[in-house]
Amino acid sequence: MPELPLAGIRVCDLTWIIAGPTATRVLADFGAEVIRVEHGQAADAIRFGRPVVGDQPTLNNSGFFNYFNRNKKSITLNVRHPMGMDVLKRLIAESDVLVENFSSGIMASWELDWPQLHDLNPRLIYCSVSGFGHSGRDKSFTTWGPTAQALCGLTFTSGLPGKPPAGWGYSYMDHTAGYTAAVAILAALRHRNLSGEGQHIDISQVEAGIVLNGPAVLDYTVNGRSWRRPGMPPGNRAWEPAVAPHNTYPCAGDDRWIAVAVMNDAEWQALVLAMDEPPWAADERFATNAGRLANEDELDERISAWTSEFTDYEAMELLQAAGVRAGVCQKASDRFERDPQLAARDWWSTLPHAELGESDFDGVVPKLSRTPGTLRQASPLMGEHTHEVLRDVLGMSDEEIVEHETSGVLM
Amino acid sequence: MSGPLADLRVVEVTDVLGQLAGKLLADLGADVIKVEPPTGSQARAVGPFVGDVPGPNRSLNFWYHNTNKRSVVLDLAASEAGRASFRGLLVTADVLIEDQEPGVLAAFGLAPDALAAANPRLISCSITPFGQTGPWAHRKSSDMVALALGGPMQMNGYDPEDAPGAPPIRGHGDQGYNTACQFAVHGILAALIERDRSGLGQYIDCSMHEALSCTTEVGMPYWLYKRQDVIRQTGRHAAAHRTEPWLFHAQDGRDLILFGVGRDNASWRKIKEWFQAEGYGMQFNEARFDSPQARQPGRGSPEAAEIMAEMAKFIAAHDSEYVYRFGQGIDQAWGVVRSPDETLNDPHWHDRGLFVGTTGEGVAEPALMPGAPYLFSATPWELRRPAPKLGQHTAEVLAELR
Repeated sequence: MPELPLAGIRVCDLTWIIAGPTATRVLADFGAEVIRVEHGQAADAIRFGRPVVGDQPTLNNSGFFNYFNRNKKSITLNVRHPMGMDVLKRLIAESDVLVENFSSGIMASWELDWPQLHDLNPRLIYCSVSGFGHSGRDKSFTTWGPTAQALCGLTFTSGLPGKPPAGWGYSYMDHTAGYTAAVAILAALRHRNLSGEGQHIDISQVEAGIVLNGPAVLDYTVNGRSWRRPGMPPGNRAWEPAVAPHNTYPCAGDDRWIAVAVMNDAEWQALVLAMDEPPWAADERFATNAGRLANEDELDERISAWTSEFTDYEAMELLQAAGVRAGVCQKASDRFERDPQLAARDWWSTLPHAELGESDFDGVVPKLSRTPGTLRQASPLMGEHTHEVLRDVLGMSDEEIVEHETSGVLM
Repeated sequence: MSGPLADLRVVEVTDVLGQLAGKLLADLGADVIKVEPPTGSQARAVGPFVGDVPGPNRSLNFWYHNTNKRSVVLDLAASEAGRASFRGLLVTADVLIEDQEPGVLAAFGLAPDALAAANPRLISCSITPFGQTGPWAHRKSSDMVALALGGPMQMNGYDPEDAPGAPPIRGHGDQGYNTACQFAVHGILAALIERDRSGLGQYIDCSMHEALSCTTEVGMPYWLYKRQDVIRQTGRHAAAHRTEPWLFHAQDGRDLILFGVGRDNASWRKIKEWFQAEGYGMQFNEARFDSPQARQPGRGSPEAAEIMAEMAKFIAAHDSEYVYRFGQGIDQAWGVVRSPDETLNDPHWHDRGLFVGTTGEGVAEPALMPGAPYLFSATPWELRRPAPKLGQHTAEVLAELR
């Protein structure tokens, strides 16, 4: 079997919660040796994150943690102890990448600012992911995912007109700041491999979100039009391109919905055929996109009446068979139990875990034909690899390891 | 100085789905050549348009997602000469990105294996709604349809009291396309790093459906470990059980997101002082508010509910920016719900040089748009040229091939 694409890349992973671990999940899936450096007295809160298996959280029974930290190693290290800080510096010197998502200022308080890190290891790629970045007047401000989503515009653009923002029902920007960091780290690594030059990548979680709504910003700076205006956000109706019908429609059952997007007249005709050519659809007001947009309320009511006659999957099959862009609003259960596409592409697999048993995982995106990413091990137990890393990466003798252990450094 | 990928040449055949992948590489220095049909990429027909006048060079959506690229018109569908030029271009390329329906390029005699035979170092990446295989491979999709099937939509929405019977809600900004493209670029860069060792290219199959299916945070673990689907709530995390609101309406009409009020005693003291100086929350001195546990929202504590009710009164009487800035000043990770354009008003982002100016047809003075999502210390993100006009570089690029 060929080597994984990131074989030989070692990542010193100081990240916690979701944004940082998402970045290192990408690197680990593609074969980097990711070493989580954890502190027993200030454990990653996600190690206690629900859902957990059993009645109470332990450090090692969180399904949430397991999901984001597969393929990684864990060492416990007390960096507030001088010997612990020394171990961390030795690990950084032996690493290709250092990632952290602390509030800005923490690394400097440890005297591990970029100049010091660069001195320790000139080939190092250091990526910091913080709320506001390491520069600018508000750099000391902090975020959680929902804060970042609010400040960057994502929360605002998700909602029904005249209602409060619906926003995102999870920390999309924790995922996306992590994906953004992985793009940057990989680009910097390749440059480093060719040139020998390490560097610092400074990522702000809010900025990583602001760049996701570029056309809306340009509509303001070019056309003077803000999204904060009556009728906006448009819910599930289309903003641009302005087309109709484009919405979610109810299906039979409790809280079952289908999304339907008609992008042009040909697709409208396909929808009419799929609905068995109801007389109302022949109304000339619906013959053009402009007419459909002008009569969108009535159009959506008519389509809702049709979709309500079917289950969500039935409606999707009918519409897709006619060439209409349509998809069920799938819940997690739907994706795991019903979705034939994910199943056909071997999306789900299991890995053993000491406290969680055989645990389920989703796959690696995207699929590389010759050197695909792999699932090799479930998330690490707290400190599972401490001795291994100290011995194999730092070359410590058994005596040295015992000395560190008895000094209270490895906890 | 130039970006970290300045040695690379990328060819892309993309419409709306894949265009961000090329932008991410182009903005980091790669020479990205966009091959378009004579009618132009479909993204050129997506508004908003400059002055609301459609035209192939007036789409602001296209402007944003095609910075730093060159445009070459080649008629791959109808012209053997166009296909020959395309093959010639790919012999010089490191990466191909395409987002056409599976089989479309193959029908033109441009299948990945045929291209690889001519250039074994080529990394070809297809970005499609469902991937190249499986029963849905040829189904039609859109950004909203993808966000529905992949799971994000089902987690966004409303408490029943805010919008009875409301559907799952799609966040705007083509986030399905964005997520797919970020994953595609992970794969491309990982394959490039591998190629620098092995000398070999490969094929990459990127499914938007899969990219979104692993981008639903706690939603999937709750099913995997508890066999529970989370429920939608207004402006806050979907959860297994209802939790307290986070969203507060300020005097100026904007909303604030607040959570974790007074988790620790130090910050609780500061919040108390701030409120009480203005006559709010006078009951907070009572001993029943002293325990951080009692102040924790999400656990059904009456004290927590009382704190949130007092917060709501306080915020309704104050300006959103004031509450946001004061809160951050006392270590609270609160935020204002801004529209995308309102981010332009925050001087912090200007300090970091986030916004960059672009010009184009009908816009002579640079108009600001978001720029770098990352600051590289040695090889910075760079806006070298605005999005190309349709076919702007056809002659230039074809001359380079001779």
